[in-house]
Amino acid sequence: MNLSGTSGGGWRLPRHELALLGAIVLVFVGTGWLDPNHTYFANWAESRDIILRNTALLGIIALGAAVVIIAGGIDLSAGSMVAFSATTCALLLALFSDVDDKRLVTVPPLGIAAAIGGAMLSGLLVGTLHTWLITSIRLPPFVATLATLVGLRSFARAMCLFVTKERWGSESQQINVNTPFFGWLKEHNVSISTGTFLVLAVVTWLILSRTVLGRHLYALGGNEQATRLSGIRTENVKWFAYCYGSLTAALAGVFLMADSSVAQPGNLARGYELNAIAAAVVGGCSLQGGIGTVTGTVLGALFLRLVIDAVSKLIKASADVYEGMIVGIIVALAVTLTQFSQLTKAGRTLFPGYRGLAAIPTIATFAGLLAVMGSANVEAFRGRTGLLGLAVGGGVLLLLFAIRGAEGRGTS
Amino acid sequence: MTPIIAFRGVGKRFAGVVALADVAFEIMPGECHAICGENGAGKSTLMKILSGVINDYDGEIAIRGVPAAFRGTRDAEAAGIAIIHQELNLVEQLSAAANIFLGREKRTPLGLLDNAAMEREAGALLAQLECPLDPRIPAGALRVGDQQLLEIAKALSLESDILIMDEPTSALTETEVARLDRVIARLRQRGVTILLITHKMDEVFRLADRITVLRDGRHVKSVDRGTTTPREITGWMVGREIADHDFHGKRARGARLLEVRGLTLPWPEHPRGYRLKDVSLDLHAGEIVGIAGLMGAGRTELLETIFGAAEPTWTGEILFDGRPVRFTHPKDACDAGIAMVTEDRKRLGLFPDLDVAANVSLCGLRDAVRGGLLSRTREEAVVAGPLRETAVKTSGPHAAITGLSGGNQQKCIIGRWLLVKPRVLLLDDPTRGIDVGAKAELYQLIDRLCRNGLGVILTSSELPELLALADRILVLAEGRLTAAFSRAEATEQAIMEAATGGQAPR
Repeated sequence: MNLSGTSGGGWRLPRHELALLGAIVLVFVGTGWLDPNHTYFANWAESRDIILRNTALLGIIALGAAVVIIAGGIDLSAGSMVAFSATTCALLLALFSDVDDKRLVTVPPLGIAAAIGGAMLSGLLVGTLHTWLITSIRLPPFVATLATLVGLRSFARAMCLFVTKERWGSESQQINVNTPFFGWLKEHNVSISTGTFLVLAVVTWLILSRTVLGRHLYALGGNEQATRLSGIRTENVKWFAYCYGSLTAALAGVFLMADSSVAQPGNLARGYELNAIAAAVVGGCSLQGGIGTVTGTVLGALFLRLVIDAVSKLIKASADVYEGMIVGIIVALAVTLTQFSQLTKAGRTLFPGYRGLAAIPTIATFAGLLAVMGSANVEAFRGRTGLLGLAVGGGVLLLLFAIRGAEGRGTS
Repeated sequence: MTPIIAFRGVGKRFAGVVALADVAFEIMPGECHAICGENGAGKSTLMKILSGVINDYDGEIAIRGVPAAFRGTRDAEAAGIAIIHQELNLVEQLSAAANIFLGREKRTPLGLLDNAAMEREAGALLAQLECPLDPRIPAGALRVGDQQLLEIAKALSLESDILIMDEPTSALTETEVARLDRVIARLRQRGVTILLITHKMDEVFRLADRITVLRDGRHVKSVDRGTTTPREITGWMVGREIADHDFHGKRARGARLLEVRGLTLPWPEHPRGYRLKDVSLDLHAGEIVGIAGLMGAGRTELLETIFGAAEPTWTGEILFDGRPVRFTHPKDACDAGIAMVTEDRKRLGLFPDLDVAANVSLCGLRDAVRGGLLSRTREEAVVAGPLRETAVKTSGPHAAITGLSGGNQQKCIIGRWLLVKPRVLLLDDPTRGIDVGAKAELYQLIDRLCRNGLGVILTSSELPELLALADRILVLAEGRLTAAFSRAEATEQAIMEAATGGQAPR
């Protein structure tokens, strides 16, 4: 077992975490060196702030996702939960401010407290709803949280239109927030969100590793039937897990709203749920449940954000376009590497039969096209991107055929 | 005449445990051959080998005189062997016709599915089997008996001439059983050889020409039906040396702990209608009550109902300490002082990702908390007692549970339950898949716990185990209690007869 650190005593980082740590250092040094502007070394403070803020936001949601995944479930709704909580927060601010103050500049302290409290409460409510759908209605977690993923964002938008109309007489898709308190949050967003992330990480670690509840979460994810038969009320454990997942997303919602000074439920945090799940998985959580650590999840989030940042620096393309690709590739690679021993044991091959044959040109084509697009903005390759694409695509093609050939000899 | 199937010295081991050893017998073309044996006698393993599911085994199988080397079920199918599993293998969402032709779909000249042709042929096949149903109905909507005929139709469409049927009547109504008998007769007229896996004596003597008995993975005898009796067959099924343990001397029977009165557990989707019917029993402190019964007799359901782990739809009365109880969650039962070690350790008992200590401490974590947090030292202290009491052999409390032997894993699970300080311990087939030496240690442990005042209900698929440990033995057959023996009265023969319904009071 690998409840690393869970067992208290000796602070022994297991292999997965060490490998991630190594990869993080490698990417960091590599980017700093290869980046023609050497931004990491020349202008460290700015890069650090971007990476820290993004990591904190992703990490906060990822911690919730990890708890749900360890308990053997999945929460697809986090992105919509972020939007829902941000909208709830902004709407409560609107209700507590003066009617003429449409930019929400002055809100009494009570209003701010109510807004933040309301946002957190919205997380609890959604978590409870998930638990009810899953334990009483017996929906698979995937279905229950898919429904709220789609439904909650729409609900938040409708809520936004309704309240702005009732309050100010004109419908609006977004609510501007210029309250000084949230301005202060925005100004110090790096330190505050990073601090919150770290505190939350410690709290999550304590819960998972040092409480009875945490042990029950691991047991539930590892063997639900046996957990129930051991006299543990699994429904209550699930209740905690899904509420934790929604609460962390709700918390991220408040930060995101403060960051952008606006609650815009239509687009806020779209797709965040998948990045959070990806961070947990890269950090070593098993989607089968029962396995995963806080350390791993934190490192997984940091690694993902670092690579996204690195790629945007190296190929000078906008980060959000490439983000999906990077996350996809890293998730596939991370899980492949952790299962590599099983993959190659049992006489299995990477490219069996015609199926394997068909996969090789597909991968090579993707690699070639990626090389063309990725090098378009890089000085050194100007005018030679086509050639580079051909070289990379051809190289990958030959390499994979060579691997397939070697496998064929090995098995026959 | 060449035998259609000849087993020659067939053997198979699973992780060191012998499932089959040196099995040799022959089956003649066109006969109906019953293969009998207790749970774990090796019937299923032998049939898995014959149908190509298992392909690494010792010895040789010859089909029509030619040695066979099946690499998979497809090879066995090509050799004309079809198997109707007890758990049917149908895609419930697909139509009956689509199931019959799955993987061999008929196509039109354009390469599209030729549903009309498949449905026509499926309809004809099913009609031959007295099952005139619409081949377009999804398989999942059919009754179990019709689903079974669907599988037989599939076998016929494959032109199989060797048909293996594993406990074919276990889920059938009486009319369905009669229909199956007629179908079997018709198949035999067409020259199909039938292998019937069963432990129901009436079925064996109604259908089979010859009978082979397996016991503990070995071939005991193959005889013609005319030359034997049900008594003799059950005798061969159980007739092994009784384990030379005898633990029941001088146990002090204490106060009555548990009383079950007229317990009935409904089973709406099954033709029988109940999993348990009118079951009553008593359990006293310091006593072991054994529950015998074949697979599916309701042993597990009985324990789960007492433990609050079954569907709460049961009727009847359970009294614990003289007070009526109705547990709806295992937690309630634990709090009251009842513990249950489940059958199927891997699926229902173990947490493979947790270490030994965490596996054991699960039921006693409350005592391992200091200031709201789990303390590693306290947890080690909590599990030290049970680990010592059950004599678990492990390199330490933080070893991987999956690294322990089956016997030691089982001791860990019993240890886990000792932490709730139970007064009643329910043990569901606790020594399954455990080697002989470890079994003896578990017997000693169970005996010791009982002498310390625990009331134990023990189910087992092995009769010698019950005879060695239990003070009284109750026999379940198809959800009903069919016999009760005191230790002095009980013999394997009598228990087996009651369990197979051979000569049981009805």
